[in-house]
Amino acid sequence: MENLLAFIGRNMFLVFGLMAVGGAVALVFSKNAVHSVVGFLFSMLSVAACYLCMSAEFLAVAQLLVYAGGIVVLFLFVVMLVEMTKFKEKGLFQVQTPYAVAAVILGAVAFIGVFWSTWFGPSAAVPLTLSSPELAEGLNVASQNAEAVSRGLFAGYLLPFEILSVILLVALVGAVTLAKKERN
Amino acid sequence: MNAAPVTMTLLQTCVMAVLQAICVVLFVFIIVPLTIYAERKVLGFAQDRLGATRIAGHRVGLTGWLNRGMWRMGKVPFLSYWRGLPMLVGDIAKLFLKEDIVPTKADRAIFLVAPALSLIASVVVFAAVSFYPGALFTFPKIVPIIGGLPFNGCITDMNVGLLFILGIASVGVYGIVLGAWASNSKYPLLGGLRSGAQIVSYEVPLTLSLLAPVVLTGTLNFNKMTLALATEMPLYAVPILFVSFFVYFTCGFAETNRMPFDMPEAENELVAGFHTEYSGMRFGFFYLAEYINMVVVTAIASAFFLGGPYLAPFGLHRYIMHVPFLGAPNGLWFVAKMILLLFTFIWVRGTIPRYRYDQVMAVAWKYLIPFTLILVLLAAMVRYAAPALPVA
Repeated sequence: MENLLAFIGRNMFLVFGLMAVGGAVALVFSKNAVHSVVGFLFSMLSVAACYLCMSAEFLAVAQLLVYAGGIVVLFLFVVMLVEMTKFKEKGLFQVQTPYAVAAVILGAVAFIGVFWSTWFGPSAAVPLTLSSPELAEGLNVASQNAEAVSRGLFAGYLLPFEILSVILLVALVGAVTLAKKERN
Repeated sequence: MNAAPVTMTLLQTCVMAVLQAICVVLFVFIIVPLTIYAERKVLGFAQDRLGATRIAGHRVGLTGWLNRGMWRMGKVPFLSYWRGLPMLVGDIAKLFLKEDIVPTKADRAIFLVAPALSLIASVVVFAAVSFYPGALFTFPKIVPIIGGLPFNGCITDMNVGLLFILGIASVGVYGIVLGAWASNSKYPLLGGLRSGAQIVSYEVPLTLSLLAPVVLTGTLNFNKMTLALATEMPLYAVPILFVSFFVYFTCGFAETNRMPFDMPEAENELVAGFHTEYSGMRFGFFYLAEYINMVVVTAIASAFFLGGPYLAPFGLHRYIMHVPFLGAPNGLWFVAKMILLLFTFIWVRGTIPRYRYDQVMAVAWKYLIPFTLILVLLAAMVRYAAPALPVA
C-alpha cells in the first residue's frame, strides 16, 4: 500500500503532464473555437497541477490565478462572441496553413536539437539550478517558496522584472491604439 | 498551536485528508440548506410576512391538526415558525427529481460539464480554509490506521493558502460562462457575459482588499495570517482592517452574484440569466455553487477581518487574549461569525435594490479599485511604521 502510494505520488507529474499535452492537442484539433478554449483551460490547470507535484506551490497558484482565472477567461469571452463561420468563408485559416507548417517544422527542429543535446550531448560542468544559494538565503525553498520567488523577483532580478512590466504596458497601449483605429 | 510536527506515512496522510474532506463537505452541505431556509425566513421577515411556515395544508394530516389548534386559539401557530424547515427536504427532493432537460441545439458536452465545474470550484476552496489553528482532537489508539494522530482544523495548511483560495475561486466563473454559452440561447449568453465581466472586474478590488492584510502580516499562510491579524496588529492598523473588510465584503457580493449585484440572473431583464435553460439537478449545482461561494466569502471575511477562531474582530483580540475562555481560539467563534455574515448576505438582499449594469462596473473600476490601492498604500505605511510586526 505504502509503496503503491509512493509510486503514484512519484508519477503524478507524468499523469498531469500527459493531461496537459492532451488539453493542448484538443486546443489545436477541435473544430469549435470554444472547445479549443476549454482544451486550453484544461491544459493550463494540468500545468498548475504539474507545478504542485514539484512542490512549487506559489508557481502553481500563480498559474491558476493568472492563466486559468484571468487570461483564459478573456479568451473565452472574445471567442464566444465571434462567429467563427464568417472567417471560414473568408478562407482566413486556409491561407495560414503553409506558414503554420513552416513554423511547426522550425519549432520541432529546435526542440529536437535541445532534447538531443540534453540526452546525448556532454553533461554540463555546473548543474543548472533555478535557485542559487544566495537567492534563497535563509529561506527554506520548499516551505517558503512565495518568499523565495519574491526574493528573486524584487532583489535578484528587479531590472528584468520591471522591463517585463513595461513590455506589458506597451502591449496594452498598442491594443488600445489598434482598437481606436478600427473605430474611425 | 505549535505542537511538534507529527510524521505521518503516506497512507495515513491520505486517509486523514479523505476524512477531513468528508467532514468539510458535510459541514458545507449542512450549512448551505440551512442558509436557503434562513433566506426564506429572513426575507419573509424583512418584507413583513412569515416566510415558509408549512409543507402541508392546514387541514389535513398531523401538521394540519397541530396547526388547526393554534389557529383556533386565535394565534398564528408558533410551531409554524420552524415548520417551514421540512421544506428543505422538499427543495432538495425537487431538485433531484425534476426532469433533466438538455436543449436540442445546445452544445451537449459543455452544457453537461459546466454546472459540475461551478460546483467543484466552489467546494475545492475549502481545502485551504482553516477552521481552527492546530488539532481539534486526537484519534484514540484503537482506530485502525490513523490512531494517535491529530485531526487538524484545516485540510492542508499550505504556505500560499490565501492565493490558493483566490485561484480556485477564480476558476468558478467558467461554469457560468461556459454553461451560458452552451445553452445556445440569447438570455443565458447575455447573463454569462455579464457574469464573466463582473467577476473578472470585481476580482481586482477583492484581491487588493485582501492585499492589505497580506501586507500587514507578511505571509500568505491561512493560519499564520489569522493569528497575526487577530493578535499582533498595532492599534492604528485597525481602521485599515475595518475599511478593507467592507470593501472585501462588497466585492464578495459581486463575486457570488448576490443581490445588489445579481446582474447575471436579473430576472426582470434576462428571464433567469445564465441558468435559464437548466433544469433539475444541473440547475441545482448552480444554485448550490452560489450558496457555497457565499459560505467561502464569509469564511474568508471572518478569518481575516473578524478574527476567525479568535473572538475579537479587527485585530483587537490581543486585549482579551488572557481572558480564560474567551481568549482561547475556538472553532465555534469562526462558525458563529460565518453565520452572522451569511445573515448579512440575506439581510442586504432584502434591503438594497439591484444596481444598473453600468453602475455595477463603475463601482468596481472607478471607486473600489482606487480606494483599495489607497488602502494597500496605508497598510504598507503601517507596516513601515511598526517594526514590531512579524516578518514572514
